[in-house]
Amino acid sequence: MTELDHRVKGVDHAAFPTFDPAGTVHFYRDVLGFPVVHSICAVGWGPEDHPDFIHFFFDIGNDDRIAFFYYFGFEPVHSRERGDAYAGFGPEVPEFFVRSRHLAIHVENTDDLLEYRRRLDSSAWPVEMQIKHETIESIYTHDPNGYLIEITMPLRPVTPQEDLDANLTIDALLDVVAEPDPTFGKLLARKAELIVDRAAAWELARAGQAAGR
Amino acid sequence: MTTLYVLDVPENTPLAKVAAEVSGVTVGRIGPYFEITASGAIMIDRRATGCRHAVWYSAVGGVARDSRIIQHDKDALRVEPA
Repeated sequence: MTELDHRVKGVDHAAFPTFDPAGTVHFYRDVLGFPVVHSICAVGWGPEDHPDFIHFFFDIGNDDRIAFFYYFGFEPVHSRERGDAYAGFGPEVPEFFVRSRHLAIHVENTDDLLEYRRRLDSSAWPVEMQIKHETIESIYTHDPNGYLIEITMPLRPVTPQEDLDANLTIDALLDVVAEPDPTFGKLLARKAELIVDRAAAWELARAGQAAGR
Repeated sequence: MTTLYVLDVPENTPLAKVAAEVSGVTVGRIGPYFEITASGAIMIDRRATGCRHAVWYSAVGGVARDSRIIQHDKDALRVEPA
């Protein structure tokens, strides 16, 4: 666990390139209803090969933003069928890896999740999957650029013990990857040791904090 | 001795409950974890727990070094002495 104070305030913006600004605006603004909140029209400067570009932003709630770069006269960097505007993948790359990178946007409840499902299902980008994970339920689609977008709601509030568990997992992971041939089995064995070392003391400390309030 | 740990969160409660009903299996606690122990193998039937797959496949918090998972699939979780 860290002793450093935690000053950041969420996502300012996450930025992606696009070769399809019309599709991108249609998807985010017109289908999902995310307002356009900022744009920059810039003449290419600095490196000589930098094209002129538009950098445009959509509000994804909580004052957080998703942003895109459209570069005039710049052609797609790959022609592979799998992947997205940023990167393409050949048949040697497994699907789980291709689908691993994604942006998940938070909604608060089932009504909101189903409202976005309705908006997507009546568009050219219908929901591809709706999945109940461990503690969240999510819908997924790919945007016009091929980026995997998830919209997710919590199934219940996060409990304090899940923070402990996450920290034990990460400490176990760091120990296991510091040794040769890390495996899931080795991680579970190391984590068991950390549970024995720390879990009881964590609960006592929490009970002490509660009594002290 | 066989020992595995499962975090006590609502999704995992049925797993601990089913384990406690298995003959020879003891479910204790260490902090916020269920400590599931037996002198021999521990076998937990997934369908009896009612856990959906995402919960089932991420439920194990730790497995003691003297134990090992020999089955963790859609049917069951089986842990034996190593």
